[in-house]
Amino acid sequence: MIALNNVWKSMDQGATYVVQDVNLKIEEGETLVLLGSSGSGKTTTLRMINRLIEPTRGVITLGDRDIQDIDPIELRRSMGYVIQDVGLFDHLTVSENVSIVLRLMGKPAGQRRMRAAELLEMVGLKPDVYSRRYPAELSGGQQQRVGVARALAADPLYLLMDEPFGALDAVSRDTIQQELLRLKSALRKTIVFVTHDIFEALTLGDRIAVLHQGRVQQVGAPRDIIRKPATPFVKELLEKPSRQIETYCLKAGQDIPPWLQETLEPDPAPSGAAPAELSR
Amino acid sequence: MTGWAQFVESRGAVLEARVMQHIILTAIPTGIAILVGVPLGIWIWRNPRARSGVLSVTGVVQTIPSLALLTFLLPFLGIGYRPAIVALTLYALLPIVRNTYTGLAGIHPSTLEAADGVGFSRYQRLRIVEIPLALPVIVAGIRTAAVISVGIATLAAFIGAGGLGDFINRGLSLDNTRLVLLGAIPAAILALVIDAGIGILEEALRPGRKSSRLWVRLMTFTIVVLLLGDGLIWAARASRPAAPAPAGATSGVIRIGGKNFTEQFILGELMAQMIESHTHLKVVRKFDLGGTVICQQALLNGQIDMYPEYTGTALTTVLKKPVIPDPDQVYKMVQKDYEQRFGLEWLPPFGFNNTYALTVRDKSAQKYHWVTIDDLVPTAGSLKAGFTAEFLERKDGYPGLKRVYGLKFARTVDMDPAIMYHALAQGDVDVISAFSTDGRIQAYHLRVLKDDKGFFPPYQAAPVARISVLKAHPELKTALAPLSGILTDRIMRQLNYEVDQEKRSPAAVAHDFLLKRHLLQARVASNLRGTD
Repeated sequence: MIALNNVWKSMDQGATYVVQDVNLKIEEGETLVLLGSSGSGKTTTLRMINRLIEPTRGVITLGDRDIQDIDPIELRRSMGYVIQDVGLFDHLTVSENVSIVLRLMGKPAGQRRMRAAELLEMVGLKPDVYSRRYPAELSGGQQQRVGVARALAADPLYLLMDEPFGALDAVSRDTIQQELLRLKSALRKTIVFVTHDIFEALTLGDRIAVLHQGRVQQVGAPRDIIRKPATPFVKELLEKPSRQIETYCLKAGQDIPPWLQETLEPDPAPSGAAPAELSR
Repeated sequence: MTGWAQFVESRGAVLEARVMQHIILTAIPTGIAILVGVPLGIWIWRNPRARSGVLSVTGVVQTIPSLALLTFLLPFLGIGYRPAIVALTLYALLPIVRNTYTGLAGIHPSTLEAADGVGFSRYQRLRIVEIPLALPVIVAGIRTAAVISVGIATLAAFIGAGGLGDFINRGLSLDNTRLVLLGAIPAAILALVIDAGIGILEEALRPGRKSSRLWVRLMTFTIVVLLLGDGLIWAARASRPAAPAPAGATSGVIRIGGKNFTEQFILGELMAQMIESHTHLKVVRKFDLGGTVICQQALLNGQIDMYPEYTGTALTTVLKKPVIPDPDQVYKMVQKDYEQRFGLEWLPPFGFNNTYALTVRDKSAQKYHWVTIDDLVPTAGSLKAGFTAEFLERKDGYPGLKRVYGLKFARTVDMDPAIMYHALAQGDVDVISAFSTDGRIQAYHLRVLKDDKGFFPPYQAAPVARISVLKAHPELKTALAPLSGILTDRIMRQLNYEVDQEKRSPAAVAHDFLLKRHLLQARVASNLRGTD
């Protein structure tokens, strides 16, 4: 279990805080999505978990250990890390990229090759086709699969994913999301997933934490977030996709589901008073 | 063409040695610059504060003219390959440091973030990610450095470092184009080969190149072997006891120096052959040094034991005293001061006076009735003068001339002594600062203008030697004594002419002269081949 307790982060010696008093618990085997727009502090929060960034205040624990007591290199190797730009090593083959963490840990080459093949298979890339290619020879989607395989190499308990599919086209994104769901249930990893895409959050998250201006607005299952937005920001955040669904239903000549109608009801009073009611 | 082939063949052995020296002169500094420059580049990448400082210092070094830098290092390192290697290393540093930094700075940030995120240690990140990704750019820097070094190494011959520049300098000094080409062509080929070789390596190192790894290993191996091989040869030479150390006084070896113009080669040969003929000492010739300061410094450092010098030069350039017109007075003065200040002795003069001489085309002189320097004054405002850099600066050169004669030329051009005479004959300039014994005055139909105000100081030539060496080997003075007063201005001009115009080697000209005067014992004749 990963727990963040009263975590604050300032990048300018305390003048402003990009993360303010964040409290989160991520249970074993669950996927927690950090949802927010840019500047919400979601990436900073994620990067504090593997100590790429150190918190200004607050404590982060892994099981019952303060991560400050864990060597950062060891900590990072025990957590897979996937980023939007992938960051593959252009001078190494796909196979070498995938098994790089094993190399860092001093595992023999034979074992690394076998593990790389296994992982490539797992993310849907045929090892005999792709092992010896270089990153430049792959499509964006294929590169990100390699990125995911790399994160899984050392069989970590945790996966940290920072908008991993943000740069992909809609079709590739959808496919790879489905595969992540499949992997998740097969491998039972604990995943912290950062995104600004509400549909992605709803698709992948067991629970969603909505962040805005450095503060957690609401944490809950997708269903609770949709039906009971806790703050005006969350409500507003969900309104736009709801309208898209409404449009979709109308075009299809279908009835709008009643729960959606609920969230789409116009505010009875000018904004400011209404959200307080809704949050009750 | 056959003439050229024969010429090259006749110098085959020397050429091979010079090429080898040149490769060493290039490889060692490049190697050192890699060992220093790459870590320095990594360091400034990680320490942005040090970056601009380091880059500007290495950049400034690059802007110092090579000859100035070589000369600057003389007092600390003497003559020979040591200052050359230091200077070349300094020049090679900038491209390597800058490219190492540029290569590292060009790595995509996401690559580094991913490396940190998956748990690379700092050292692992450097070894597995940063260096390999920056390597093509670093190698490009090494390529630039190596090619620059090949070029600058030709200049190292000025301070006696050897290499192909030796041919070039000697060819320029003796006005011998074939000698110049013998140095210049192999140097150019060497630069092209190095450029192409490292270029192939650089290309093969680009990330994501399939099947390039074997190539890379092969090339790297070859280059490492070459570098190591050179290093070993160099180390072997450096550790050889007779090499550069001030050993001359006791080892039975006499090193004779000389400056970089024809007359100095001939005088040096005369001294060398007399010593070889009349003593059992071995002579090492260290001719073609790049000027008075370099020779003087080499004497003081004990890297040469003697060389021919001129009294006027000693008085003004070395002792920095005002000009005195009386030759005997000058000779006595430099003799006394050299002994007291430097522990050096002036041996009896050769006899001639090689002073500066304002020289014009004979035709122009007849047309405008120029006989003395004074005659030039009215027309000077429309004349173009070609002066050596030294003459332009020295008190007994152009500045004094302006003062004493009121002479001011329309333009002055800084010219190498090797091309000055030719430039005058061709009409590129109208007046030059010739030397009165130069053979080309005759050959090019030039005329020396009379110095009727006695402005130019006397420049009597005589051997200058370290007193400690003369004491250790009293036979030296006896061997050199017959050279006293043997050369008049006329004879010296004739000997210079034979070398400059008839393209005979200074060694042969000196040898024939000594034979004609019955000053040689037979056995020296066999030593002659191979020296030029």
